[in-house]
Amino acid sequence: MNIILGMGIILVFGLLSGKLAEKVKTPAITAYLLLGIVFGPFALGIISEHIIAVSGTISHIALSLIAFSIGQNFSGKIFRQVGNQVMWISILEAVGAWLITLVGLLFFKVPLYMALIFGAIAAASAPAAIIMVVREYKARGQFVDILMGVVALDDAWGLIIFSLSLAISKAMYLDLSSSIGNVLMGAIIEISGSFLVGGVLGVILSRIGLFLKNQTDLLIWTIGVIFVATGISLHFHFSVLLTSMFLAAVVVNLNNESFKFFDILNHIDWPIYLIFFVLAGASLEIDLLGKIGVIGIVYMIFRIVGKFAGTYLGAHIAKSDDDVKKYLSLGLLPQAGVALGMALIAKEQFPQAGNIIFTTVAATTVVYEIIGPFFVKLALHKTNQIHN
Amino acid sequence: MQVKAIMQSNVRSVKKGTTLGQLLVSFKDFHSFPVVPVVDSEQVLVGTVHIRSFFEIFQPHNQDLLMRNPLSMISREPTDIFNLDIEAEMGFLIIMADIMDTKVVKIEQSADLRKAYDLMQLHGKTAIPVVDDNKRLVGIVSIFDIVMKIFHEKGLI
Repeated sequence: MNIILGMGIILVFGLLSGKLAEKVKTPAITAYLLLGIVFGPFALGIISEHIIAVSGTISHIALSLIAFSIGQNFSGKIFRQVGNQVMWISILEAVGAWLITLVGLLFFKVPLYMALIFGAIAAASAPAAIIMVVREYKARGQFVDILMGVVALDDAWGLIIFSLSLAISKAMYLDLSSSIGNVLMGAIIEISGSFLVGGVLGVILSRIGLFLKNQTDLLIWTIGVIFVATGISLHFHFSVLLTSMFLAAVVVNLNNESFKFFDILNHIDWPIYLIFFVLAGASLEIDLLGKIGVIGIVYMIFRIVGKFAGTYLGAHIAKSDDDVKKYLSLGLLPQAGVALGMALIAKEQFPQAGNIIFTTVAATTVVYEIIGPFFVKLALHKTNQIHN
Repeated sequence: MQVKAIMQSNVRSVKKGTTLGQLLVSFKDFHSFPVVPVVDSEQVLVGTVHIRSFFEIFQPHNQDLLMRNPLSMISREPTDIFNLDIEAEMGFLIIMADIMDTKVVKIEQSADLRKAYDLMQLHGKTAIPVVDDNKRLVGIVSIFDIVMKIFHEKGLI
């Protein structure tokens, strides 16, 4: 099957599976992932190896678009809007999940470079699954407002933590005998390079964007600059995620009408994400599932502990209500898209360990997407946010 | 020609604290709901309310932040307005600050008409608020105003 036919089939059946998922109240991303598994080489074989071979390019495009969109949260206006509680809790629950999962996995003899990546992925949550529960039960109240704010920001912190962790892990992995100084230097070059590319292109995107007069030109210009930023980052082995996020952060702080660069992408981004998640499912090595038992369970448990500890500490510092301290972390357990994206990057960077990371995260994603909504509902119920 | 020469100065605006009920009563006789500027106590433009703003009523606070993450999207189905959980007290509990769109496209009154037209094309708008140097609302200019001006100059009217 040629690649274009493969993509066509993925889009058509992806649309159908997304509609089916809506009927059974499941986020579309989970449906795309399962569709990929069913169509992939380990089941029906409709998505062949040479279609999966282009998944690297699709992943980079999808992840740069996702990071660009999430990056628009890094503005002074947003930070003032969300307030103290959301800032403290979102930062500390992301860091808490990272740190405690990292330490937990080290305790179970997982190598440091892998544990760093697992920890960083643990920071991410799944906004779609959380919104779905909030909407289904028509939940309202201060707890829901804080939950929404925290979920909005924690993927942004998660992407930063992941990018930093990946830079350190790569430096460690490439030269296991290297000193701490060399590892840090490698990481600093990767991170500062990403900031430089994102910063310079952010200024160019924003300034030249002022002269564009129609939506088609704006769309072409925005995608063009994102691709240039992503391409330069890949060429110099910088972080695609950090570059795209910083590009967005510069634009959003320079331009009063910056929303035009982000809103224009709504017309084209979803088919790319659909293909990205279906190919992610198809890339899953089912035969590895049996080998991830202990790591998977440890990852899941320590992530939950980390989310709880971080949320509690953040809520304590921000002087939040007891309800927020005790129950907010329950609302943060679902995990899906961003975590899978991070795991796919890890798969690409670390040939062997990356497969274990990706398979573990894909499997735990399905579990989290099933049990996560139950805990979100429990949190809303315990805090009296469900009124009827 | 400057925007202020053709803009509509008699604009009906609302305050951030205006309730949903007051808004609906105020505009119930309009043949379609217009773009309504929202201003603060200093008359500074802080947002707009348009027909889609009514759908915000049913979303939790901070959801606009979540929508910045493209993966927050559950589906792109339009809101099912026939099956909404509406209660009478929403009329006085919901205020403009809750539902207004803060992504405001505006133009200075001293700007050229062509700039106003380009801005409307770029953002897919048919009308945009006009502000003075202190960002205070002074009017609204629409594509219709610009077209009328051109037609007038060409002698059609």
